Amino acid sequence: MNMKIYVLGGAQTDFERNWSKEGKGVIALLKEVIDDGLRNIGITYDDIIELNKQGKVACFIGNFIAEYYVNQGHLGALLTEVNPAFYGVPSARYEAACASGSVALDAAITKIRADDYELVLVIGWELMKTVDSKSCGDFLGRAAYYEDEAAGIDFPFPKLFGKLADETIKKYHLDEKRYLDNLAKISVANYANGKRNPNAQTKKWFMNEAQATTRGTATNSLIGGKLGISDCSQVTDGAAFVALASEKFVREHFASSNFPIVKGWGHRVAPMKFDKKIEESAGSEYILPWTRQTVLDAYKRAEMTVDDIDFFETHDCFTSSEYAAISAFGITEPGHEGEAIDSGRIAFSGDKPINPSGGLIGCGHPVGASGVRMFLDLYKQVSGNAAGYQLKKADNGMMLNIGGSATTNYVFIVGKNEEWK
Amino acid sequence: MEMKTVTVIGANGTMGCNVAGIFASFGDAKVYMVCRDLEAARKAQIRATMSVKAESIAKNLIPMTYDDLELCISSSDLIFESVFEDINIKMGIYAKIEKYLQPHTIIGTGTSGISINQLSTCFCEKARQNFMGIHMYNPPYSMTLCEVTPSQYTDSVLLSEVKSYLRDVLHRNVVEVKDAPAFMGNRIGFQFINEAMQYAERYIDNGGIDYIDAILGSFTGRSMAPLATSDFVGLDIHKAIVDNVYENTKDYAHETFVMPEFALKLISENKLGRKSGCGLYQAVLHSDGTKTINVYDIASEKYRPKEKYVFPFAKHIIKELKVGNYVNAFESLVNSHSLEAIICIQFLIKYVLYGIVTTKSIGENIHSADDVMATGFNWVPPLAVIDAFGGVDIFKKIVIEKMPEDFLSKIDVDEILRDVPKSKYDFRPFFKAK
Repeated sequence: MNMKIYVLGGAQTDFERNWSKEGKGVIALLKEVIDDGLRNIGITYDDIIELNKQGKVACFIGNFIAEYYVNQGHLGALLTEVNPAFYGVPSARYEAACASGSVALDAAITKIRADDYELVLVIGWELMKTVDSKSCGDFLGRAAYYEDEAAGIDFPFPKLFGKLADETIKKYHLDEKRYLDNLAKISVANYANGKRNPNAQTKKWFMNEAQATTRGTATNSLIGGKLGISDCSQVTDGAAFVALASEKFVREHFASSNFPIVKGWGHRVAPMKFDKKIEESAGSEYILPWTRQTVLDAYKRAEMTVDDIDFFETHDCFTSSEYAAISAFGITEPGHEGEAIDSGRIAFSGDKPINPSGGLIGCGHPVGASGVRMFLDLYKQVSGNAAGYQLKKADNGMMLNIGGSATTNYVFIVGKNEEWK
Repeated sequence: MEMKTVTVIGANGTMGCNVAGIFASFGDAKVYMVCRDLEAARKAQIRATMSVKAESIAKNLIPMTYDDLELCISSSDLIFESVFEDINIKMGIYAKIEKYLQPHTIIGTGTSGISINQLSTCFCEKARQNFMGIHMYNPPYSMTLCEVTPSQYTDSVLLSEVKSYLRDVLHRNVVEVKDAPAFMGNRIGFQFINEAMQYAERYIDNGGIDYIDAILGSFTGRSMAPLATSDFVGLDIHKAIVDNVYENTKDYAHETFVMPEFALKLISENKLGRKSGCGLYQAVLHSDGTKTINVYDIASEKYRPKEKYVFPFAKHIIKELKVGNYVNAFESLVNSHSLEAIICIQFLIKYVLYGIVTTKSIGENIHSADDVMATGFNWVPPLAVIDAFGGVDIFKKIVIEKMPEDFLSKIDVDEILRDVPKSKYDFRPFFKAK
């Protein structure tokens, strides 16, 4: 990527919070995350007003389906209710199911690269605890091909990712017990990582291998095929904010340009329906070839390989998706993902840690926020601001954010500037 | 420090059972659940697994009875005593277990207020060094506070190791508290709750109990209003806590620990709260399956439907909180001069001041009161209230403006608020828009 896109910082809300229980709505959510994010990057609402007079600032909102959860659309314009500083600021909502945050980031990055704006604010959010879990599952079904894959089905997504587990076992002739034990280890690692993250949804929750491998019980019921509750990310409320800027903006506003930069990206769309994905992947080594291709695109654009990446944030909406991501990233060959799990390579202390934040299972998954949250965590690690979950080596990080059943695939690489090193 | 085996004595009680669940899950310890009979122990085993939402820990939970004490105690790394809150009963248990203790066995008591120094004297010199208070809050799965209190004899290295274990392995928010009546959380919390109860009596003609709860509701920084909390905890427990503080301390808030007459009467009638069907409140189930809440009317001594009070100041605060306008919400509280708004802000002020005074006297540091109130009560912590009002300087002015002379004459506001830092906690999640 030729033009440098700087990541200035940002904020996320505490994903443990239930905003409905607090009696608060989307405006309160947005106010908090934007207030905190602006404070983090040292920009005020007055600065926004000034930048807007010069047409230098814009906002990009990632959200999947607020129309269902909170009866609200027109989410770009909604920022004007957060603060009058947003009057006149170009702002729009971007949607790609659970990858909505990433499509907003992509649009924001593109607008800087095109030299349209100098500062872009990206806000991903979802309030999901406004409804009961069954309705929530049904709403999320709209990220699949609803008519065929979700209508009339309780919790359609766990079932789709349960099928991914079945197909993975079949494709690579895996020992079922070993595979399911590997998935349990993924779950346990994400819960354990979440314990270090003060914004994690599960920071007080208990999980261990005995619990994660004991599927089909009252406290770990089967929810999609062979997958139990312990294999799933949970319904979450939350928002995440990231600010990106052009080189010109950084030079004019900051004493140093030691900010992480966007080094690579990838965006591919796989067949909408899960069965077609599997049908299409028959000739590929990879169970999710378009996910793999998205990763390859990002490596190519960044002129990097897996050897250059110090850590990963992945879309573990289910343990089966994190399992598939291991080979998609290139950490192992396809079919050998279990080796990276068993050897501890992807553990917090491993050489290729995945989800130091806790990921979607440990940190939480407010769907429209997740892409921005992952990107923020890349920023935190690379800039040394991850506090209790800071990795020792974090010069370059990669994130994978997926929408639907790995339908929309987004990858970003964020890393240190060469000059910074 | 490793705790391979733990014995919980009194594991059929709510706390004993839930604490057993914490040791067996996060600690992955084998836990002997000592109960009065095996059936009670088996039931407690199931409750303990459900308290941490993990049936897989059942294998770590071993139902036992007092007949098995020798086996349990002699093979345990830690004994957690959680029997009835009565010094004689506890001493009786200590006498029974002492002979089975190994030199390394740690003994923790879950007492919520009995003096640790006094209890420690039940043990021989060696065992005394291994004895301390380990006070968790209910339910410990979501309330992570653990007040640790050494006696004058507790080995300091051991104390430090136990604190690390509780913090790093059991994921507790550990606060070391001096051996003072009710320790810290209950002292600060029940000062507020008991004074609210006194105000219910004072404002008997305005509605009493539900009137005060409506003034100090969730929008003031708590999940549950104070008198509803007392009803939930049980008036008998409430009485034991405030009596203990009243009898054994003497600070400026001394008189606020006197339980009002009407509550004593309810206790004498066994109307203890939710656990006995009625107390300050009473849930009424109707034939159509609906439920309504009655409240005890202090004046008529009868239950009546709970009133839906609409105070303009509260309505305005809730409206502002709903959209995240915290500054406006607190400004409107400061600028409102209705009787209810004044009661509300005075309670918040008194809570902050008492929290700071208490943490300075029995806490580990200035943040200890914040830790105990946030993670033991889920109340907005005292220092975070100061932040919510705009910082120490603004808060000090509000104290002088809002508090009556007779209160101010009892304390030194400048001294209390000197060098008070920002809270470690974000106040925003605590103030509910309802």
